Amino acid sequence: MLTVALQQAINGIVFGSLYVLVALGITLIYGVLVQINFAHADIVTIGAFAAYLFTVALGGNYIAGIGVALAVGAGLGCLVNAAIFAPLRERSELLPLIATIGVSILLQNAMLLLLGPIPYAFDSPYSNEVIRLGGGTFITWQSAIIVAVSTITVALLYAFLKLTFMGKALRAVAQDRETAGLMGINPARLVMLTFVIASALAGMAGAMLGPILVLTPFAGTSVIVKAFAIVIIGGFGNVEGTIIAGLVVGLIESATTQLVNPGLTDVVVFTLLLLMLAVRPTGLIAERREENV
Amino acid sequence: MFGRTRIDRRAGFLVAAAVIAVLPLVFQDSYWRATLIVAAINVMLAIGLDFVLGYAGQLNLGHSAFYGIGAYASTLLIMQLGLPFWIAFACGMALSGVAGMTLAVFAARLRGHYLAIASLGFAVIVHQVLLNWIGLTQGPLGIYAIKPPPAIALPGLPVVSFGNTANMLYLVAGFALLFYVLLDQLVSSPIGETLAAIREDEVSAASFGINCTAWKVFAFGVGAAIAGAAGAFYASFVGTLVPDAFIIIESFTVLAMVVVGGMGTLIGPVCGAIVLTILPELLRAFGDLRLVLYGAALTLVVLFMPGGLARAARRLRMHKVDVPAQDRQ
Repeated sequence: MLTVALQQAINGIVFGSLYVLVALGITLIYGVLVQINFAHADIVTIGAFAAYLFTVALGGNYIAGIGVALAVGAGLGCLVNAAIFAPLRERSELLPLIATIGVSILLQNAMLLLLGPIPYAFDSPYSNEVIRLGGGTFITWQSAIIVAVSTITVALLYAFLKLTFMGKALRAVAQDRETAGLMGINPARLVMLTFVIASALAGMAGAMLGPILVLTPFAGTSVIVKAFAIVIIGGFGNVEGTIIAGLVVGLIESATTQLVNPGLTDVVVFTLLLLMLAVRPTGLIAERREENV
Repeated sequence: MFGRTRIDRRAGFLVAAAVIAVLPLVFQDSYWRATLIVAAINVMLAIGLDFVLGYAGQLNLGHSAFYGIGAYASTLLIMQLGLPFWIAFACGMALSGVAGMTLAVFAARLRGHYLAIASLGFAVIVHQVLLNWIGLTQGPLGIYAIKPPPAIALPGLPVVSFGNTANMLYLVAGFALLFYVLLDQLVSSPIGETLAAIREDEVSAASFGINCTAWKVFAFGVGAAIAGAAGAFYASFVGTLVPDAFIIIESFTVLAMVVVGGMGTLIGPVCGAIVLTILPELLRAFGDLRLVLYGAALTLVVLFMPGGLARAARRLRMHKVDVPAQDRQ
């Protein structure tokens, strides 16, 4: 029983760390722009397919494939910002949201057209190699890579936000765009930077999710729904909160899979989310308006 | 503008009724009649959502849940308990309305994007429950052979059967018009102003003694009940129910109808619903490309017509009438 619990905890952390990467992108964009990008899900999916094409079709190295997905994601983020968010910036909060729903429909169906509805078998060379841990538990190399790459990425991002000038400027824009502009920071450039970072995270998360998910043109949607829950639990725009919440949701999910029914993971996660919102409307870890990136 | 609205509106309703009356005569084949019935169902969904979103200002992404609750509740009451259609229809509406009011309890404390995600979560929960509660809903296997509404047989008149697409179109479009008239009465009454006050500034609304929570519960209840009616008609028209008809994408589709048509007007969402129902059908000539084009069209409309079709049409009309363009701001 203990072995099973430990094993499920490991699985929870593996998925949770990928949710963290996706949710961090959403929360970064929200922090700077107070906007939601619904096409974020499709950047995850396209990242997964980019890595698939690079490794399986072209025979490239899987780790390099993660890098390819990162670059593809960054490029897409650049496009989405330039085409949708930059022109609609000062309008209502709803218009960019609807426009990205349009983009999402476009991208999903374009993928469906090009790639077909049949799930792809994305066999990472690391999926079948197992590392044995103590107490009868094990972790595949694929999962170990996921946890390692996510941890390093999140650490780098955190250092970037806290230590570099650009990171500080980004947090300044999130706090008060106008004042930051008066201080000589160019908000438009920083918004673009945020989109590039957020979408690069989504692309690389896709590359690592590909081998452990059912890879179809709609694969990103199921991940994004959980990422939204995580962003709310962690407090919109709160980086630390999002990291904790992502791991918690991963663990809740694996506990539900083990103890209740794998089909009900979303029900459990969202019921807990609604209960939490009923008690604490600003998230478990409160939104920090004074320092919210 | 204010003086003539009442007469204008009555005339508008009569024109709408006349258009509905001739529709089945113009469209003789069942394919177009079916498309129009779906359009009428979407009109109900869109005006219900717009009442919550455009008038009360509540960012609700859970509309697909109310649609699904109405469809499943009415169908199960007919098939499991043997209730007559119209009683089951009313119960489905009521249940959806209650679900909407329950969600409004969250809306009372949440704003903007928090409410959006909470309502999205509600829609995810309802879809997953429909999918997993196999004992009740038969899950992904679906429910089949759902009958159309019972025929109306008045003495001395021919029997009106709703297996006939023309009659079904009259029924669904008639109800859509009825809901439109009801909502139009609501939003042009003081209730409309109360909701606008809450939408614009909740704190000042509360300071005028408006009970914001109660009115939000009311708005969500009305919007959800209309979605429930749309669900009941959907089930009885299509004849089969599967949980995937009520995925969250359905909420987005209805939201798109409201925004493309023009949020905060009633005629806008009607146009949006009709255009976005018929557009994918017209694009069928493009085969597999059609949904790609649909997504592109939706994005372009938002980018270049941010006020929606209704406001774009109004601007166009104002350009034509007396005022020279450069004199207006």
